[in-house]
Amino acid sequence: MLKVAQPDRPDALTWVFLGLGLLLLPVGLYLALSAPPDVNQGYLVRIMYLHVPGAWLGYLAFFVTFLYSLLYLFRQDPRYDRVASSSAEIGLVFMGLALVTGMLWARPTWGVYWTWEPRLTTTAILFAVYVGYFLLRGAIEDPELRRKAAAAVGILGFINVPISYMSVKWWRSLHQTQSIDLTTGKIHMDPAMLQALLFNLLVFTLLYLGFVRFRSLLAALEARKEEA
Amino acid sequence: MKLPVEGWPEAAGQGRVGVVRRVVLLALRDLRLEVRDRAGLLSILAFFAVMLFIMALALGPEEAPLRRAAPGVLWVALAFGSTLLSTRAFALEVEEGTLDDLLLAPGGKEWIYFGKLLFQMLLLLPLAVLALLMAAGLFYLPLERLFPLFLTLVLGVLGYASVATFYAGLLARLRGREVLLPLLLFSLVVPVVLASVRATTGLAEGLPVAEISDWWQLLLVFDMVYLTASALLFPVVMEG
Repeated sequence: MLKVAQPDRPDALTWVFLGLGLLLLPVGLYLALSAPPDVNQGYLVRIMYLHVPGAWLGYLAFFVTFLYSLLYLFRQDPRYDRVASSSAEIGLVFMGLALVTGMLWARPTWGVYWTWEPRLTTTAILFAVYVGYFLLRGAIEDPELRRKAAAAVGILGFINVPISYMSVKWWRSLHQTQSIDLTTGKIHMDPAMLQALLFNLLVFTLLYLGFVRFRSLLAALEARKEEA
Repeated sequence: MKLPVEGWPEAAGQGRVGVVRRVVLLALRDLRLEVRDRAGLLSILAFFAVMLFIMALALGPEEAPLRRAAPGVLWVALAFGSTLLSTRAFALEVEEGTLDDLLLAPGGKEWIYFGKLLFQMLLLLPLAVLALLMAAGLFYLPLERLFPLFLTLVLGVLGYASVATFYAGLLARLRGREVLLPLLLFSLVVPVVLASVRATTGLAEGLPVAEISDWWQLLLVFDMVYLTASALLFPVVMEG
């Protein structure tokens, strides 16, 4: 295995991501709160500026977990596993945020916090898969087997991400379809709203990158302590 | 290099036939062991019976709620039952220390996965049919469309067994596998259970096949994805 000098402190890039993210977070919130109300939903639409970036970053984080799990299985380097688990952890937080904001939005809009329609169901399954990912990691003591088993869950569990994303199209569900459709590239949104959304998306991405780098470093320190 | 292993297709120049034969041999050997032992088979059958019985008692004597609950109860019973079964696929190998021998056999390792999967399917399918009959008896599940029901069983059980076999292999050497396996499996196979339940419900309610085929397609896609991913990952995970 390649032996690399492991730093004790987060590097400059991590601080830049974290700093910029935290700095721009209030700006993003200001933009979200000053964005124009929606024709149908009124001011309620503003939850979207947290909900959509949360869900996207959740998907992205699970994709990164998928990628690094594959890398781990083929290269057998624990560093990849650390990034995969860090990303899954952050992904769970963002997905949780999307679920909670979605419920808060659903109560006044649909009249209930939760309903078993395809998008919500597939997202809940996704959440459960990655909760299982961490239960598994906690249950296996042998580090190598733990990494392998976790990588397998990271890869197989990712199958639910595209299903969750496409569910609103495939089943014509209660949940609205994408305003920014990644499969066709069409955007159904007012420019002022789009700006605020994209800005929040940027802020969340910066925070995600910072968090993952920070968490991976923590994991590395933990692993070093475990070995010593 | 030739390794003379009695009764096994030789590694040198092994073609597709060799691999298929290995798969079948492994599955038949496991099946023979399982049928001779009987304890495992009987316990799963008893589990199905008890579970369906308790659910029937819990959901009340009226026909309508029982009829409505039938597909869900059937698939939950199958899910739990096949978890019991999947640990058995590798438990004996580990007990006897033969898993390493299997892994040492020359050539790829995918055939071990497929052999175990075939064994699971050969056991699970008859059991699933029995469970279906029990559900028909206790829950008034109509059996008029037997062939579509059977197709749903095959697709659903395959989706379930493909992931279950993979994880059973991965966790074979772990002590707490009986607890861990359901935890991992259930979250991953929820889509399969969901599609199977919907298809069975549709069949029970007498919907036209065209409407149910959407769920079959979904099941087929899941089966293929899980099967391919598991078969590709199995050799990587079992090494070392």
